[in-house]
This record gives sequence, structure tokens and C-alpha cells, in this order.
Amino acid sequence: MIDRTEASKYLVSKLTDELVVTSLGNEKYDLRVSGERDRNFYNWNAMGMASSMGLGLAMARPDLRVIVYDGDGSLLMNLGSLATIALREPKNLIHIVWDNRSYAMTGGQPTATAYHTDLGAIARGAGYPKVERIETIAQFKSAADRALVEPGPWFLHCLMQEKPVVGGGLPSPTAIKHRFMDAIGAHH
Amino acid sequence: MAWADTVVAVLKKYNVRYLNYLPDSKIEKLLEAARNLGGFEALPLTREEEGIGVVCGLSLGGARGVLLCPTAGLGNSINALASLAIAYRIPCPIIIGVRGDLGEFNPGQVAMGQSTKGILDALRIPTYSITREDEVEKMTEGALRVCYASEAPVAILVTNELAGWKEGKART
Repeated sequence: MIDRTEASKYLVSKLTDELVVTSLGNEKYDLRVSGERDRNFYNWNAMGMASSMGLGLAMARPDLRVIVYDGDGSLLMNLGSLATIALREPKNLIHIVWDNRSYAMTGGQPTATAYHTDLGAIARGAGYPKVERIETIAQFKSAADRALVEPGPWFLHCLMQEKPVVGGGLPSPTAIKHRFMDAIGAHH
Repeated sequence: MAWADTVVAVLKKYNVRYLNYLPDSKIEKLLEAARNLGGFEALPLTREEEGIGVVCGLSLGGARGVLLCPTAGLGNSINALASLAIAYRIPCPIIIGVRGDLGEFNPGQVAMGQSTKGILDALRIPTYSITREDEVEKMTEGALRVCYASEAPVAILVTNELAGWKEGKART
């Protein structure tokens, strides 16, 4: 079991111009405390949308790596996006799933991954060419280092232990959007 | 020009290059017109809300896409519209092939098709319904102008009055 905060801090310490888009779960707070970046897009409440947004970003900006911070509950809501990502095959996409086997923000109710469901196996079956199962920080560092330089799409299935959330609240949705788009010179 | 050729010509004029779709017979007309015109990328989705996420991601990256889906599929995209496109003010054009209205044969299409405009009204998403061949260009272009001016979703409804109904296995 890895510590998401520790793993996230390692990853962010390696980033330069990469884009990061989060799902709505606690992973967004860990991204923030890992180091505030203009190229982070925090998701307030669009459950399941991080993977699809990451795909759109990766299509729009093939010159940049796009990292998705997803959760098990969120991905279970949009499993179809795995098939769509696999068929589009964005080489610049790194899809990280922080799997705590629970809906941590709403009281820790178990998700299907607490029982028989293996999201890495689903990603492999959907057609992701690079799938890693990660249970230690050493495995995370090794996989992250490779994903940041080798073509994907990557699926990093991180088995983690949930713990109390750190960090404060988010900026407004439009502030997040404008800061992100300004950072990469994008216009609607 | 057939209605679908006009629509895709306007999409191209506004640099809407990425066509994210769930098919129906009207959407296929648009995809065919886009293949003929060239310069588009079509991405098949498994569910319509994915398309909202992809269009929003494209937009954040500075590219323009559209969701193409039937009325039934719009129902699958509502929370993504509300919590993402509307909350973050992201322009998100949707072209909807209307089912469930004039000439419908399939009972399962009726309720969603006939409530589509009411649902979009409740979300304050403007709808532009195209019923006549001579209004296709104006309605499509006008809708896209509103979309990018307001940084918000807009819906273009391709009706059976314009594009015909699906014959199907109607009960006579």
C-alpha cells in the first residue's frame, strides 16, 4: 500500500510542463499540497470526467504530457472511457488511479474494488498498452519515471491506504480554468 | 447542399475539428458529410457524458470539439454538463439528432425526445431547433457564435421536419 501524498509529491517534483487534471475526490487535495502549479486543473464535482477530460487535453496538446489523477469510484462511473482512450491511443496520456477501495469523501463506503474488481485488469482488457500495478513507493517511482519519458497511454493502478485529507479549499472553477488556460496559451 | 454538408461547413469555418459521437441516422449523415469535406477527426464514444468531458478537455487545451448524439443520449450527459461545462464556463456545442417527435415509431424514444428541450431549458442551455433547409446555416452559425461568446453549452436540434423520421418497424 502506498501513501498518496508521498507518491504525489514525488511525481510533482519531477514535472516541468506537464498538465495534470484531477477527479473530484481527495486526490485533488494531495495534488495541491504536492506543489501548486498553474498547469493543474482541479475538478470540483464532475464525477467520472477526469479520464475523458484528460483524453481531450491529450488530443488538443500532443506536444505536452497529460496526467490524470483518477479515483476508483470515479473511474467505475466512467469505465467506458477506458475503451475510448484505448482506441484513440494518446501516446502522451498518463492515467493514474489512486485506488483506496472506497468512496472516501462520503464516509468510506466500499467500492467494487474492495471486492472482486481489478481496475488494472479492466484497463488491460480495454486495450491500454502500458498497465502497471503499484503497491510500493519504489514501484511508483519506477513507473512514474518511465511514464514521464516513454510513450503511453499509461495506466498506473496505485493501491493506497486512505488517510485524513490535507490542505485547504480550492479556487473557484473559473479561476482554475483561466489560470490553467493562460499557463498553456490556450483560448476557447 | 444537403443540410448535413451545410452544418459541417459551418463547423469547419469555426475550427470545430473534433467530432465526438454516439451514432444515430442523423449523426451518420453529419459524419459522412465530414468525411467528404475532410479535416475532421471523429471519435466514437461509449456514452455521451464522455463526450462532454472530451469537448471540455479539448477546449481547455485550446481546441474545439462538438458532441454529436441523439436525444436519448443527451440524457446520459446531464450531470457532466451541469458540473463541468456550466460550472467552469466551458463552451460546449452539442448537435442532437431528435428522436421521439414527429413520425416516431419507437415508444422508448418518445419521453426523452419530447422532454429534451425542457431539460435544457431548466439548465439554461439555449436550444436552436432547425426545421427548415433554408435555416441550416444561420441556425448552426448563430448557435456557435453564442457558444463561444458565452463560454457555455449550446444545443442544436436536428429535427425530423428537417431530416426526416426513421422508418423503423412502425405499428400501422
